[in-house]
Amino acid sequence: MLDLSLYQGIETAWCPGCGNFGILKACKQALADLEIRPENLLAVSGIGQSSKFPHYLKCNTFNGIHGRALPVATGASLANRELKVVVNAGDGDCYGEGGNHLLAAVRRNPNLTLVVHNNQVYALTKGQASPTSDQGYKTLLQPAGVAYPPLHALALAVSQECSWVGRGFAGMVEHLTGLYKQAMTHEGFALLEVLQPCVTFNHVNTYQWYQARVYEVEKEPGYDPENELWAYQKAREWGERIPIGVIFKRPRPLLEEAHPVLRAGPLVRQHPERPVRELLAEFF
Amino acid sequence: MAIDLNILIGGAAGQGVHAITAPLAKTLVRQGCWVLFVQSYESRIRGGHLFNKIRVADRPLISSREGVDLLVALNQETVQLHQDKLAADGVLIYDASKVKELPARGLKLALDPEALLPEKKAAEIAVNAGASGALLGLLQVPLMPLMELLLEAFLAKGQEVVGWNHKAAAAGYRLAAGVRYGHSLAGSAPPASSRLLISGHEALALGALAAGLQFLSGYPMTPWSSVLNAVGQRAAKWGVVVEQAEDEIAAINMALGASYAGARALTGSSGGGFALMVEALSLAGCSETPLVIVEAQRPGPSTGLPTRTSQGDLSFVLSAGQDDFPRAVLAPGTPAQAFALTAKAFNLADRYQLPVFLITDQYLADTNFTCEVADFPESVEVDRALETGPATGTYERYAITPDGISPRRLPGFGPELVVADSDEHTPDGHLTEDLAMRVKMHDKRLRKLTKLVTELNGITTYGSADAPLTLVCWGSSLGPVQEAVARLHEARTPARMVHLSELWPFPAGAVSKALRGSKKLVMVEMNATGQANRLLRQETGLTADHLVLKYDGTPFTPEDILRGMEGHA
Repeated sequence: MLDLSLYQGIETAWCPGCGNFGILKACKQALADLEIRPENLLAVSGIGQSSKFPHYLKCNTFNGIHGRALPVATGASLANRELKVVVNAGDGDCYGEGGNHLLAAVRRNPNLTLVVHNNQVYALTKGQASPTSDQGYKTLLQPAGVAYPPLHALALAVSQECSWVGRGFAGMVEHLTGLYKQAMTHEGFALLEVLQPCVTFNHVNTYQWYQARVYEVEKEPGYDPENELWAYQKAREWGERIPIGVIFKRPRPLLEEAHPVLRAGPLVRQHPERPVRELLAEFF
Repeated sequence: MAIDLNILIGGAAGQGVHAITAPLAKTLVRQGCWVLFVQSYESRIRGGHLFNKIRVADRPLISSREGVDLLVALNQETVQLHQDKLAADGVLIYDASKVKELPARGLKLALDPEALLPEKKAAEIAVNAGASGALLGLLQVPLMPLMELLLEAFLAKGQEVVGWNHKAAAAGYRLAAGVRYGHSLAGSAPPASSRLLISGHEALALGALAAGLQFLSGYPMTPWSSVLNAVGQRAAKWGVVVEQAEDEIAAINMALGASYAGARALTGSSGGGFALMVEALSLAGCSETPLVIVEAQRPGPSTGLPTRTSQGDLSFVLSAGQDDFPRAVLAPGTPAQAFALTAKAFNLADRYQLPVFLITDQYLADTNFTCEVADFPESVEVDRALETGPATGTYERYAITPDGISPRRLPGFGPELVVADSDEHTPDGHLTEDLAMRVKMHDKRLRKLTKLVTELNGITTYGSADAPLTLVCWGSSLGPVQEAVARLHEARTPARMVHLSELWPFPAGAVSKALRGSKKLVMVEMNATGQANRLLRQETGLTADHLVLKYDGTPFTPEDILRGMEGHA
């Protein structure tokens, strides 16, 4: 196990009590347990409070633009598969602005972990509804309440045979650490959604609200995360009971297997020789 | 006598216009002729009207020209659309099963599919190979190189198909013996060293491969797709990761991720797709991530004319993205320039850590030129401009330096952490609200332009250096303008061409020097408002006395330019 102080990033700008602190703690613990050194880790993010996460974790970082972390991470992991690539995204970032990239990542199955910090609200822009806000949730912009039902992103992922789907709760750091470790050691695309209370803007989905509802799915008698239909039911469950844990697993070929050049090693370690005369030859 | 002929092959999409063009053009090149062919097509998969126009000559060609000497009509519409342009001594070669109404005048050669090949199921092959054979027969070029090419092209489809092609080509060749055509290429002979027949986008793709391209992501869009396809077909052989993205936004972000991690990366699109990429272009600027972007122009606004050509995106490419950040913009005019400038683009992107554009268009993309091997460099310098070995002190990705270039390292290659950010940031890459730092960092990025501009020139001149009349152009207009200048000379009007292929940061000193002594400036470009002229005025204070503009979606011909110059030459 590595020393946790290795991962000490810059001072955070999150609100005191923010759910992100629990996620950061679990992430650091998982990295230390798995002995992933900062220089071998690449954290990619977009824009939102969750996207500041890589700055608060000492590691290689690409903090890009809103919604687009997944394609950046996919490109980076194809270029250098020796990097452990983790994406931090928010519910608005990943399920709203970047929704198409989530669908594509599930299909491609790049070898990386996506952590979605789901606080069911747009916090950085001061409280508008997000794709996961519950129906009827009132905001300044939606004074009559959100008119339509939330996106069940995990159910979507399961329906498309995402190779690993799990959910954690920022208020249960030890449990979340375990999930982090499973997601990061999984071969393929892992979607880990974390229920993350927003103490400033979301006064409905609070720590207490989640605490009263979450249950560990692995404790369900006989639960099998490789059973697609069962997993779909769990992924769709949202209300009085909310499952956390490993919801679905399905071994699938990695994206990198689709690119024969990568059999010779990471792209960035290759130095192709392409003589100009040989390139021109086919045009004679 | 000099030979300079135009062969137009027209029909509906799916009828085999290209199946005739490709082996015929290559045969003529192997036989020592100079060939340049343009492709005109519509945004549809089958039907409509498309044609290829092959210009063939016994001397080097840089441009297409107007007029038709040999017209191959695979359907009636082709006759209707092009018969007026057919030269008085020209020949109409036609599919007798499809073309029923013939013009009164001129020589004609009927291709009857059943007479060429009795096999009914091979009627299309009969006409296509028959037309190729007939054209060679009319021009008195040996048939053997075509037979070799047909074998290469159809071997995968089996001996029977090769046999049909050979039989029909030979029959067409014999048929032509009965037509007394007044022009002959009988004097041509295979060149001492092989020449290439290559399109602008193929040359661009080869330039990228030669420069060590490792990662290409893109979303299909005409005319950009031909870069995607050209690299994609060669990806396994040369070791490139080519990923078709879910949209252009993903394409550019993927390329940025790959480049950040250390792969030489390319992306691109045409106007509409590039519009989607603009937010990430600004990200490349702020994160100082090297990236080469192809912008293959077609007429807009919006969807515009998907399969036609234009130089209407110059202003857009120069200014795309929020706030100021450095970029480089290159605009090749020939396949040789496309190759060389693409290789240069990768080195500039790495040295200056910024986005570098290659602006092309449908005309350059699809037009095939005959080139000498000597037009291409023997080897390409690859300069990754990376910092390696242990860092002294704490590594800072955005260290403030006098020339604005911060030492670049790759993540995972040492204990140094590489932190890249789209937020305004401190030298170590972390987001900041320190407003004094913002000014320092913004100045640092922009300072890169000072050194970058010293690497740019890209001026090609042609004609008399002291001519009072100068035609200025950029990108793919090089060929038509050069030929227009040559024709002005023949008409005893001294003129010269100044072609610009490196447009940003604008090499103002070099351009001003090149234009010195000119009494009259004419800007020739394919847009409606003179975008390059505005750039010239902004950067040098010089402005054209006359604009020759074209924006109907078809490429410039030398004749277009001469007409546009009437009263101004």
